[in-house]
Amino acid sequence: MMKRNNHFMRCTGLLFLLTMLHFHTLMAQQRKVTGQVSGKEGPLTNVSVQVKGTTTGAYTDDKGQFTITVPNSSAVLVVRYVGMETKEVPVGDQTTLNIILTSSASDLNEVVVVGYGTTKRTDLTGSVGSVNADELMERPSLTLQQALAGKVAGVNVNTNSGRPGGRTSVRIRGFGSIKATNDPLYVVDGIVYPSDISTINPNDIESMDILKDASATAIYGTRGANGVIMITTKKGSKKGGVVSYSGYVSAGKMARKQDVLNAKEFLATEDLAYANAAKFDPTGFANGTYKDPKVKRAQYIGTLFDQNLNPLYDVDWQDAVTRTAISQGHNLSFTGGDEKSTYGLYLGYNDEQGVIKNSYAKRYTARATMDRQMTDWLKVGGTIGYVVNNEKRQDATTGGNNVTRQMIEMIPIVPFKYPDGTYGKRGDYEGMESGDNPLSQLYEDNRQYHNNVFNGNAYANIRLYKDLTFTSTFGANVRDEYDPYFNSTLSNLANDYGKNYAEITSYRSTFYQWENHFSYDKTIGKDHRISATVGQEIQKLNYLKYVVAVQSLSDDYYGWNNLGSASTVNTPTSEAYSWAMASFFARANYAFKDRYLVTVTGRYDGSSRFGADNKFAFFPSAALGWRVSEEPFLKDNPTVNNLKLRASYGLTGNSEIGQYKSLANMTSNTLIFNGTRAAGTVISTMANPDLKWEKTRQVDVGFDLSLFNSRLNFAADYYKKNTRDLLLDAPVPATSGYTTLTRNIGSLMNSGFEFSVNSVNIDRKDFSWNTTLNFSTLKNRITALGSNNEDIYMTPSFLDFTNILRVGKSVSSFYGYVREGTWGTAEETQAAKYGAKPGDLKFKDMNNDGQINSQDRTIIGKGIPDWYGTISNSFRYKQFDFLLELQYSYGNDVFKLAEHSSEDRTGIANSFSTVLNAWTPEHQNTPIAQIRPTAAGYTSKLDNHKVEDGSFLRGKNISLGYNLAPATCKKMGIGNARVYVAAQNFFLITKYTGYDPETTTWDDTFAQGMQFHDYPKARTVMLGLNVTF
Amino acid sequence: MHIMNRSIIVLLSLSLMGMTGCSKFLEEKNPSSITIDNYYKNATQAQSAVDGAYEQLRVFQNTDGYGENPWISMEMLVGHAKTLGQSTYNSSMIKHTAGTSDPVFMSVWKGFYNGISNCNVAIQHIPDVSMDDTQKSNLMGQLYFLRAFYYYQLVRLYGDVPLVLEAVNANSPLLYPSRTSAAEVYDQIVKDLQLAETSSLPTTDVTGRVSVMAVKSLLSSVYLTMAGYPLQKGTAYYQLAADKAAEVINSGNYQLFTSYAYLHDRAHKNGSEFILQVQYSGSIIFNNITRLIIPEKIGISKFGDEYGSLMPYNQFVASYEPGDKRAEEKQFFFTNYNGRDFGEYALYKYWLEEAANPTTGDANSDENWTLFRLPEIMLIYAEASNEVNGPTDAAYTQINAIRSRANLPALSGLTKDAFRQEIWKERYHELAFEDKAYFDIQRTHMMYDLPNNVFVDATSKPNIQGITFTTKYYIWPLPQNELDANKNLTQNDEWK
Repeated sequence: MMKRNNHFMRCTGLLFLLTMLHFHTLMAQQRKVTGQVSGKEGPLTNVSVQVKGTTTGAYTDDKGQFTITVPNSSAVLVVRYVGMETKEVPVGDQTTLNIILTSSASDLNEVVVVGYGTTKRTDLTGSVGSVNADELMERPSLTLQQALAGKVAGVNVNTNSGRPGGRTSVRIRGFGSIKATNDPLYVVDGIVYPSDISTINPNDIESMDILKDASATAIYGTRGANGVIMITTKKGSKKGGVVSYSGYVSAGKMARKQDVLNAKEFLATEDLAYANAAKFDPTGFANGTYKDPKVKRAQYIGTLFDQNLNPLYDVDWQDAVTRTAISQGHNLSFTGGDEKSTYGLYLGYNDEQGVIKNSYAKRYTARATMDRQMTDWLKVGGTIGYVVNNEKRQDATTGGNNVTRQMIEMIPIVPFKYPDGTYGKRGDYEGMESGDNPLSQLYEDNRQYHNNVFNGNAYANIRLYKDLTFTSTFGANVRDEYDPYFNSTLSNLANDYGKNYAEITSYRSTFYQWENHFSYDKTIGKDHRISATVGQEIQKLNYLKYVVAVQSLSDDYYGWNNLGSASTVNTPTSEAYSWAMASFFARANYAFKDRYLVTVTGRYDGSSRFGADNKFAFFPSAALGWRVSEEPFLKDNPTVNNLKLRASYGLTGNSEIGQYKSLANMTSNTLIFNGTRAAGTVISTMANPDLKWEKTRQVDVGFDLSLFNSRLNFAADYYKKNTRDLLLDAPVPATSGYTTLTRNIGSLMNSGFEFSVNSVNIDRKDFSWNTTLNFSTLKNRITALGSNNEDIYMTPSFLDFTNILRVGKSVSSFYGYVREGTWGTAEETQAAKYGAKPGDLKFKDMNNDGQINSQDRTIIGKGIPDWYGTISNSFRYKQFDFLLELQYSYGNDVFKLAEHSSEDRTGIANSFSTVLNAWTPEHQNTPIAQIRPTAAGYTSKLDNHKVEDGSFLRGKNISLGYNLAPATCKKMGIGNARVYVAAQNFFLITKYTGYDPETTTWDDTFAQGMQFHDYPKARTVMLGLNVTF
Repeated sequence: MHIMNRSIIVLLSLSLMGMTGCSKFLEEKNPSSITIDNYYKNATQAQSAVDGAYEQLRVFQNTDGYGENPWISMEMLVGHAKTLGQSTYNSSMIKHTAGTSDPVFMSVWKGFYNGISNCNVAIQHIPDVSMDDTQKSNLMGQLYFLRAFYYYQLVRLYGDVPLVLEAVNANSPLLYPSRTSAAEVYDQIVKDLQLAETSSLPTTDVTGRVSVMAVKSLLSSVYLTMAGYPLQKGTAYYQLAADKAAEVINSGNYQLFTSYAYLHDRAHKNGSEFILQVQYSGSIIFNNITRLIIPEKIGISKFGDEYGSLMPYNQFVASYEPGDKRAEEKQFFFTNYNGRDFGEYALYKYWLEEAANPTTGDANSDENWTLFRLPEIMLIYAEASNEVNGPTDAAYTQINAIRSRANLPALSGLTKDAFRQEIWKERYHELAFEDKAYFDIQRTHMMYDLPNNVFVDATSKPNIQGITFTTKYYIWPLPQNELDANKNLTQNDEWK
């Protein structure tokens, strides 16, 4: 009765009266209908059967049968089941119905999450890639970026480190910026997610929609230039209580090793260096600067050598610091609900151990979600979640003697521990560069990251009129992170031996977003459908960071837990900033005859980051779609069941440039007067009141094609993005007191082709075979830089700037010298002109001026690929499923900077085995210089010998699963269960000689592919179980 | 739900939308730092700004690379020391094969111009601060000295350099300056120092700040340089140099240390022989000086890194007169430590026992870097007055005081030319490796021919490393990055 009273209250005039009459008539003809729902394999349980337009519903039992009360003969039953095509069955006069459902291999009815709303895929005019929960969990991963890798064309996910958590970078359609961020925008349940996205548990994700072109991203205006990833988390279920568990245990081992010298080879190389000392430093040799290694080793008889000067130890440090790492992950969820309310509780625990000992990432997540249809016009809901993420890393301090470097460069003749229990150190053997042995450093250097994130949102959805709804969403994100670090007296990574060092870095940021919008959907007549969204949004973030560091604590025991025990206190520092944004946005969609589609969006953004004169900007886009398959000439075509052409054009912006760049900031420095500390104040950044947004114009054309009843699906896009007003730290003359000024001067272009295929090759009762392939190309070119298009050198700087921005070339262009090999004995006079001798490295004199200096550098490689993608084949045979996923990348190079210290020089540390191929008078055709003591002078430059082809083909995932039969499940009292065994990163084919060509050891913008001793990747074997109750 | 209630919701939300368009919400206010417009409001801020301008005195200790600091690079050019094999840039300074993109040229250029810029901004704003006049004059005096000091380094190293005397922002015409002639730069330096000399700076200072004596010391050095190459202003400026130096010496404020050890221990920092030092302390502000002079990786000290960046040649140590205390073991040089023989000479002058001792050291390399000490002023007096009048008693007194501390017999009865040679030798021997030698070569165009113990034209013969000076190396190149950033600048001729 309540329902009808509510109906009474909704005054919509004539329509209301008709509805009333309708109801009265229906009530008189109510009757029971029974039936059975089956799929290809037989009856289906738990299928939802609902009377269309009402809340009357039922579910099929274990025999696939249902009973439902229908109001009259014109009732229509809507039959829904996951993975199957929803079917609408008119009841008519039947009392028994036999309904067959077909599997939905196609995603035509799929709903896609776009900004501030959803769209049916058939109506979509933009370029959006989608991944659902099953696809995301094909390869169970710690972070959602790793899970997303390879799933969507145009989205290049690189896992750049073997450490737990992976140091991933996500790039959608290339690099759109140099100084502002290149990361996409992450939106979780409608709210921007400002914290590290790897704090979200991939198991909590229902679906991800990746917005790639301007039509989809422009509604995010100034944050949409790098693409937007819309994440929808799992909510409750309408079908009553479900408990589900998914978990895995995995074992990982270092996938590849690098060849380094063993004890015998190391000592032989040292002997060879001494033998060549006179050649390269005759004066020094005559002065007695060089000590005969045999004489030197005699000092160590009994400790490092035996009576015959054979080494007592021969340690393989790569083996010593790595292990078989056992990791596990467990996810438990409780969901429940009915047609009006749904709720869910999601718990997750992950413990990923790294292949290097004493490194890990542990994550604990808890999330509660609730949605309730309070009345028929008001729906509310919310989610709150808390994540605790604790990591211990062994690959920080790039460039120093950290574990990843020492596992290559620690000498093999010194042990981990001497018989008396003290640690071996590289400096124990005279003449060596000082450094810890890496195994001891694992215990004496402790670097942790503790990240706690609270994320919550709440929304209210109000139906104002039949076609008009109002939605208000509020979200908050609070991040508390503290990173403690302690380096003991027994390690010299942070401080000399005998001095310890403790530091705690803390971050706190609070973010809130409040978004309100109206949505209007109206169908006019038979042919016209319009929908519109208008809204506003505000965002604010406050950030505080503070660092305390001390040295010489009275006892290593304290670690970072008693900073007061330190005798030296470094100056504490703190830094705070905040930013705010206020925006208005609107979108209109129009569909004519369901065939011709138009979408127009606009967003007006204001940001606190920009100069006083440029705080606001407008970002529009327009897109057209043509569903050719709905045209009369294709409508009933047996081959082509869907063909849509689409094109879009629009403008997005990038405001992620850091704060306060438009102001003339001053900063503090430290001076000593009278033996004590004084704080000075000095200039820091040059003001630029003209600072404004970067703008990206993007054009996209594409098509979607489905053939043979969606057994073969294609999606293809070509895009071109032009970014102007690039924010650059343009070099300014140092005579100004500054070296850079943040300016909008520069432009670059990204273009590429994206292609995905999905085919159901075989689809029988007992056996099916699907193939998924995606292929993306990327072309990046800088089109303008600075006022004179002068080159800009980019960090990381190692020996010198490693990469260059040059007009006409791509970003991430490696820059350095060309090594032509080594000087031969026949070239002695020519070598002398360059101050070199036979056996020294020979570089190309590019400008033929008789000198090798910075004018002889050129572009020697590129960190970003030409094309990349994934091929997946999945098979099903009865209860078994099998998946094989391959990843490929072509055209990317790796800058193996590790060769500077592990190959260009020998003798003061251990080296790669490549030095055994060094120049000798008998073996002159080699790129490796003749061995000599470092004190005699050696050459090491950023050159093309260190650049290697990083193209690769990787066996990313292979898995075999077994799904328990429904009957067995029923007997055990569970809903369904799957057990599987899988292997990840199970093979790698590449010319690259390092651990893995997908690598970087820096977080700088264009550091992709540059490594200085990276953390090796693991080959993992996994055993997992998914159960629902 | 009544239509009215729903409409109220709509109206409320619309007004909320309107509110947030407020531009105040988008205002940018940096909580961690003040902007130039909001600074220089009171005496404390003025003091802090002046303190900040001292920072670039530490340019000499910039880390340009492994074992590379500007003070080392300057010594490498002279050719009296060798360096570690690993440092290709140090080697190219020794071999005179440097390139315009080598890090030291940019690190020194931008460091000193940053110091100048801080001085300019403060000099522009501090006069308007309401504060005690004496203190204000004191602060301005420090700023004038620092600006003059920074320009003095730049004009000697690079030649004609842009003269920027006011704050520069994005729209300033001085953002892309052209080169100003060295003569004009020197005139500005003298002008700034004269302003500093008459300000209310204290006469002396032992805390690390500028004093009137420091101003006079710098002036005497400036006049001496102006008298020589490239300006060659001759006798009048030698006289000015001698007069200024005399003011410092005769003030009686400074005495020579009785032991050379006091030049490099903590107890005598800012002691009686020092006029101005760049200050370091503990682990707050420290440097690499001691690490750089220890033979490479020899393992005698508390330090993890021992670079061997500056290892004096035997021939240089042999050029000291027999009996010269400074050439004895552990005065200016040492060849062994704790029973470990180096097989070569190392600079004991920069060894800091309190930090480097392998058992008792605290590994805080914090010795001060000396800019001016009394012997240099004494030798400036001797050299300058010699150029004007020939050797005088007063001149002999100065040089003999230095010699007697080194157990050397007094000089007397020399000709002007012979005396000049002795003074120059004394400069090399007393002020060895204190970044004075390269500037001496620049202003005299003469080099110390070690095997023959005489000064000859620098371009006439090779040094003990086999390198012959060319006029190109009388000056540094403008850094390549700077030329790329400013099209109004031209490179020094021989470096093009």
